[in-house]
Amino acid sequence: MNTYLHFFQQFGGAALLFYQSFHETFRKPFYFRLMLDQIYQVGITSLPLVIVTALSTGMVMALQFGLGLEKFGGKLYVPKIVSLSIVREMGPVFTSLMLAARVGAGITSEVGSMTVTQQIDAIRALGTSPLKRIVIPRVLACLITLPLLCSIANAIGIYGGMYVGAHDLGLDKEFYIQKVYQTITLTDYLSGWGKTFFFAMFISITACYFGLTVKGGTKGVGVATTKSVVTSSIFILVGDYFLTKLFWVIEQWL
Amino acid sequence: MALIHVRNFAKSFDGKQVHKNVTFSVKEGECLGLLGGSGVGKSVVLRSLIGLEKPDSGEVLIEGDDVSKYSERELIPIRTKVAYVFQNGALFDSMSVYENLAYPLREHTSLTEPEIKNRIHEQLVEFGLEDAEFKSPAQLSGGMQKRVGLARSIIIGPKVVLYDEPTAGLDPYNTVKIQEMIQRLRDKGVTSIFVTHDMPSAFAVCDRMALLQDGEVVAEGAVEDLKRDPNGLLQKFVKGEKP
Repeated sequence: MNTYLHFFQQFGGAALLFYQSFHETFRKPFYFRLMLDQIYQVGITSLPLVIVTALSTGMVMALQFGLGLEKFGGKLYVPKIVSLSIVREMGPVFTSLMLAARVGAGITSEVGSMTVTQQIDAIRALGTSPLKRIVIPRVLACLITLPLLCSIANAIGIYGGMYVGAHDLGLDKEFYIQKVYQTITLTDYLSGWGKTFFFAMFISITACYFGLTVKGGTKGVGVATTKSVVTSSIFILVGDYFLTKLFWVIEQWL
Repeated sequence: MALIHVRNFAKSFDGKQVHKNVTFSVKEGECLGLLGGSGVGKSVVLRSLIGLEKPDSGEVLIEGDDVSKYSERELIPIRTKVAYVFQNGALFDSMSVYENLAYPLREHTSLTEPEIKNRIHEQLVEFGLEDAEFKSPAQLSGGMQKRVGLARSIIIGPKVVLYDEPTAGLDPYNTVKIQEMIQRLRDKGVTSIFVTHDMPSAFAVCDRMALLQDGEVVAEGAVEDLKRDPNGLLQKFVKGEKP
């Protein structure tokens, strides 16, 4: 019973933080400089990890589908399958999972350390708001950078697939690109890309919530960081199913 | 005229009643020493005065306003009038000493950057921290961190300063430095509450003292009166006797 109560307590706490952040985002003062710092931390420094993940995902998928479908004479379908999988699912989900691990852990440990050393209390005691100075810049930075990183990951993932297609499967590069253009529609692209805004919220709000509620000193920071990464990863994976369904329904309407 | 009133303050943690009925007041320009053993909840009372904690019941009045009922946004003007000096300094470790001192000035004043620079230099000289200007908090000793913490708290000229064990763990030189700074502020008419276990410092800077025990204030009065009462609770506390 206590476990369920604890779960709902944490879920409620994170939901309240989301509501407060949304409410405060449009009220003065605004800290653009802090947001730009976070955009650098979240976006630019995560770029190499996102590139490696996307490239290897695209290459492995092309190789697996190519070798598997070759037996049935379906090798020519590799560009379609790989590009569609990357744009609709793999690009957004893998990029978000990487960011949950790298950025989510970073935010929770940084904010958690500030909490246990009373720096968060000092922000409040000095007549300023941790929500405005700590939470909102990080949430906005994730909301801005994750969709951009996803776009980069999609392009690199497709390039990785094309490279393997050309070098290992004997497919013509121009044919590969032509098939990608023929296959992917704007709806396909947006149904994957649109999820990243939700995933950005899952990562940033969860990370800030666990950081701000750290208890038990430095050991608590470690526990909170682990919880933050696990929780946001679960939110991304479970949320992906429901978001896919939601976007699928929207696609039917359009 | 009392500037601070704490009335019937009660608070519990994890089902344990720590404060039952804490009541005291502090007059304008006065320095009250809040004493008591470890774990009696002195810091919690102090934190409640700027809304960092909320009591379960009771009132926390600053100039007649019950700050315990205020939202975070409503507390901002209170927090510019009432400064809090943290036990460990609580300096922002991602900023230099200069940036730490500039923080409240940039947030709450309309001073230009050159004016901020001058104000910080004056403050650093007053606190004997001229060489620490561009150092990070991690490069400072514990005593220097506490002095920077105190300097940051009072740089915008608060009416009230709340000290949470500012001399704990310090060497005699830094202890005397902090005492002198507190005395200087008291002489300027700043109202203060001084939470401490350090009795020589408390006797040096406080006008009155209140002893917190078993969730309430059990002894309160002028320092000289409490000193004169050899069988009083304060004397027993100072001597380390069981009350």
